[in-house]
Amino acid sequence: MRHRKYPFIAGFLVVPLTLYVVFVLYPYTRAFYISMTAWRGFDVAPKWIGFKNYERLWSNDDRFWQAVQHHGILLVTLPVITIVIALFFAFLLSVGGKSKSGDMAGVWGSKFYRVVFFLPQVLAVPIIAVLFQTVYRPNESGLINGVLMKLGFDPVFFMIKPHLALPSIIAVLVWVSVGFYVVLFTAGMGSIPQELYEAAELDGAGKFRLFFGVTLPLLRDTLQVAWVYLGIAAFDAFAIVNVLALSEGGPNGTTTVMAVEIFRAYGKNNFGYASALGVALFFMSITFAALTLRVTRREAIEY
Amino acid sequence: MAVRVEDAAPPQFDAAKERAKRQRSQVGLFNGLGQIALALWALMIIIPILWVFLAAFKNTTEIFSSPWTMPAELRWENFSRAWTKSRAGTYFLNSVIVVSFSTFGTMLFGSMAAYVLSRYEFRGRKFFYLLFVAGLAFPTFLAIVPLFFVVKSLGMLNTYHGLILVYIAYSLPFTVFFLSAFFRTLPTSVAEAGILDGCSHTSLFFRIMLPMAKPGLISVAIFNIIGQWAQYLLPLVLVGGAQDKWVLTQGIAQISVSAGYQADWSGLFAALTIAILPMIFVYAIFQRQIQSGLTAGAVK
Amino acid sequence: MPDLSYPLSRRALLARAAAAGLLVGPGAGILAACGKDDDPKPGASGSTPAAGSSSAAGSSSAAGSSSAAVSSSAATEAPAGGAGDNPFDVKEDAALDLVIFAGGYTDKYAKEVHEPLYKAKFAKAEIKHQATEEISTVVQPRFAAGDPPDFVNNSGAKSMDFGALVADNQLEDLTALWDAPSVDDPAKKVRDTVVPGTIDVGSFNGKPYVLYYVSTVFGLWYSGKLFKDNSWTPPTDWDSFIKVLDEMKAKKIIPYAYAGANAPYYQWNVILTHAAKIGGGDVLKNIDNLEDGAWTNDAVKQAATLWAEVGAKYMDKSHEGLKHTDVQLQQNQYKVGFYPSGDWLENEQKKDTPEGFEYQMIPVPAAAGGKMGAAGVRATAGEGYVVPAKAKNKAGGLEYMRQMLSKAGGEGFAKLIGSPTVVVGASDAVEFPPGVKSSQAALKAAGADVVNIFFDGWYKDLDTEARTATNDLMFGRIKADEFCSRIQKKADELKKDDAVVKFKR
Repeated sequence: MRHRKYPFIAGFLVVPLTLYVVFVLYPYTRAFYISMTAWRGFDVAPKWIGFKNYERLWSNDDRFWQAVQHHGILLVTLPVITIVIALFFAFLLSVGGKSKSGDMAGVWGSKFYRVVFFLPQVLAVPIIAVLFQTVYRPNESGLINGVLMKLGFDPVFFMIKPHLALPSIIAVLVWVSVGFYVVLFTAGMGSIPQELYEAAELDGAGKFRLFFGVTLPLLRDTLQVAWVYLGIAAFDAFAIVNVLALSEGGPNGTTTVMAVEIFRAYGKNNFGYASALGVALFFMSITFAALTLRVTRREAIEY
Repeated sequence: MAVRVEDAAPPQFDAAKERAKRQRSQVGLFNGLGQIALALWALMIIIPILWVFLAAFKNTTEIFSSPWTMPAELRWENFSRAWTKSRAGTYFLNSVIVVSFSTFGTMLFGSMAAYVLSRYEFRGRKFFYLLFVAGLAFPTFLAIVPLFFVVKSLGMLNTYHGLILVYIAYSLPFTVFFLSAFFRTLPTSVAEAGILDGCSHTSLFFRIMLPMAKPGLISVAIFNIIGQWAQYLLPLVLVGGAQDKWVLTQGIAQISVSAGYQADWSGLFAALTIAILPMIFVYAIFQRQIQSGLTAGAVK
Repeated sequence: MPDLSYPLSRRALLARAAAAGLLVGPGAGILAACGKDDDPKPGASGSTPAAGSSSAAGSSSAAGSSSAAVSSSAATEAPAGGAGDNPFDVKEDAALDLVIFAGGYTDKYAKEVHEPLYKAKFAKAEIKHQATEEISTVVQPRFAAGDPPDFVNNSGAKSMDFGALVADNQLEDLTALWDAPSVDDPAKKVRDTVVPGTIDVGSFNGKPYVLYYVSTVFGLWYSGKLFKDNSWTPPTDWDSFIKVLDEMKAKKIIPYAYAGANAPYYQWNVILTHAAKIGGGDVLKNIDNLEDGAWTNDAVKQAATLWAEVGAKYMDKSHEGLKHTDVQLQQNQYKVGFYPSGDWLENEQKKDTPEGFEYQMIPVPAAAGGKMGAAGVRATAGEGYVVPAKAKNKAGGLEYMRQMLSKAGGEGFAKLIGSPTVVVGASDAVEFPPGVKSSQAALKAAGADVVNIFFDGWYKDLDTEARTATNDLMFGRIKADEFCSRIQKKADELKKDDAVVKFKR
């Protein structure tokens, strides 16, 4: 298949490549330049200040370090919690039911659950954030506190208490994500050959052993995909924090993330500094990506 | 094979019976707890959404009293206010327009690039591939300001086509990454047969390879639709200056801000309902395709 | 002087207010003014405030009170549309592109009062009106693109940074506006028709860039009806204030509240006003000027200590997570006693205020023996308007401002919104609602004891720190000492930071 190969390749690449270079690559490289300036975002030439923005960020910005720390927390908790819950549900839905003659069935209503769990995925994030404003409201008009207070308990101050705010944010992210991974894992489990379960059952393996002995090892690949996706999500969280948290990542910066800090810098017309923060975020994501690639470069289990 | 189940010695007959019994009660307990957990999680998702629908009929006083009371009457005027004054309808339509075109464009250009990058040998192939994939690690926030100027200098600020092209460009890294992997898994024999039959490269792609890649295409398309539908930052900056071009996410955020200023909470919830219902509707119809599409890809 | 109807005393008071609070001392014309941006106004505080009221209610209530006003001022009004009365050489068919902040005042006043005035003069001009709650979202990209509107109402939580706009020469010098003949009396310059101090608050380095339009008084707000029903008397000093709080508590009313989620600014405003009453106006001036130890000053500490007690005993913990509109609504439902705010509050809540509620304001109470009278208040001019330097129709923007500053413009605003403007004499004939009436009376009673605060508009980071520290203080996580030292630390950091443009007053 040599004939007219190169014109064909060029023809197929030119449009996507042009779009990508013009709208993605160029702006990113330009952002690196802006991060070296004290630019206020107006129609005037940016003033070059070298690495000043970076020096400031490194040594004189507590909020930046808070944000970094929060991404660290998110990177661990978000994937772990989400995956554990999703695995549990997926297992119930696909093999949790009675096994008749080794044929694994999901529990009753598994189809319904899968549909419902997935629902948050189709709602846009700003909508979810507004939704949770109501869920978390600190007085009797809140969805949760309304119940608690009716029952005579004290209200829980989700977004107010500094130590509760970030966990409350994580809970929303988990709420949104679980459904997707349930569907993902159920599909993964569905592709595990029935004979493996049958054999294990014959061997007298209980549900728990089935899960840890058969399901989990064979889901490795899918789990890795899940971890990568959730890791990417851990670097974002902007819309949720921005809408839900008190005063831009509050109280006291306890919920701030990089994107919020970048937004704050834009708000102060400090576009140079905002870009420096963006570059920092870029390096964080790159590091994560590199690490993930390294870790996941293992052979898949064959069956 | 990590699991060496087949190595287990065949169990004794009566022992197996014994175990089966134990197992059954274990299963019962497990399923019981499981059912409860499943039901709870389902409620956690349904209740807030249902509450929004109810709140759309309440007035401000009702919304801020107990959340568990029913609206005293069905206040449909909340909806008409959300639809006309808050323009939820316009925003919704804009989202539909932009996302339809951008998803189509993303799929077309993304699959073209992925195809040549995965199935043809040429100099720079690896470079171009990595160039696209590198985009996965870029935080959009970093590019947003310069991007604004690029779009502006092309005269495409506050236009549908500007937003559509940008959506396509920003969806390419994932699309190319994913589809390249997919195209690589397709058997070469069919392609070779096609070539022998005198297919050109182009028609080979459109007539043979694309149909073969359908499962992969569907899942990426769904990914892109969901992703682009939820996009907030890009439209905020690129069409922010023209309210008649705003998309739904932007509009909802705006409506929630102005609900804060004007204490029109019922209007906000009506607008949310307008935003949520069609999505649930579409999802209900296509849920099988959406779920299987997504998973077809991710499991590969 | 055409406006004989203007009560001398009131004007003198406003002037004094301006002199004490808005104007600055020597050295200060300087960038002084941007102080306002963020603040006072409805909607303006960085985070928040104001919410708009339904416009329908606005116009109806204003209508009732105004017939007298119209007749009294009619005599003094010069014909606005006279030929030749075009000091900026506006092209009569040039479109005018406006962006209005739709916060507590909504954008109705622009549509119903000021735009018609402009249109009456330039009938061929098309007016492009855009209203938004988030000014920077809409306007920043247009500035960045070099295509700004002709006139911007830069206010609200998402307002643009005036200092940055000025530093990059993005704003039109308003000297031409202030020197232009006024609409009502061509023999008089516009600068002579506004309350003294108005121009200075909008000046940077001595050059006027911002028009601040609405007069604003701050204090503690309560329901006149609630007080009447319980036969409580409005407190005038600290002890009587605490006594009323106790009585409210006994009645299961939350005695004191502010919205921690987005308006802690309302509360540091109270603490600092209190501090000024203890230690004199210089306390605030030192804070604004980033003087060493300005925040750890005894007066600030004392005030913070007293208010921390109020926080511990008389507030509801859930309010830290609520927004201003939520808390204001609770007050309208008689669940909250006192609420700190500026006098846009009454208009903002119009829609949700029950019949007979009757908003009233008292000055921040303080124990006797301070350096300032018990009646002292914080007052300022707010709601900033600018004409971008690169606007296509700058002349139109300036003319629009000149029309706003006409008697008809000021009076129309006052009637519709229920707040007085900086236009001298334009609101005397307007019958204000009870709340604004009481805040105006308080301003009058304050005499020379009027203060103002600027730092939050100058240094956003300091404002942020003050907000978080205020929530920590009022909701019991820190004591007064830490409150002071924490904000002081931030102030010291800023002072040392060359990258931050400094302002003085």
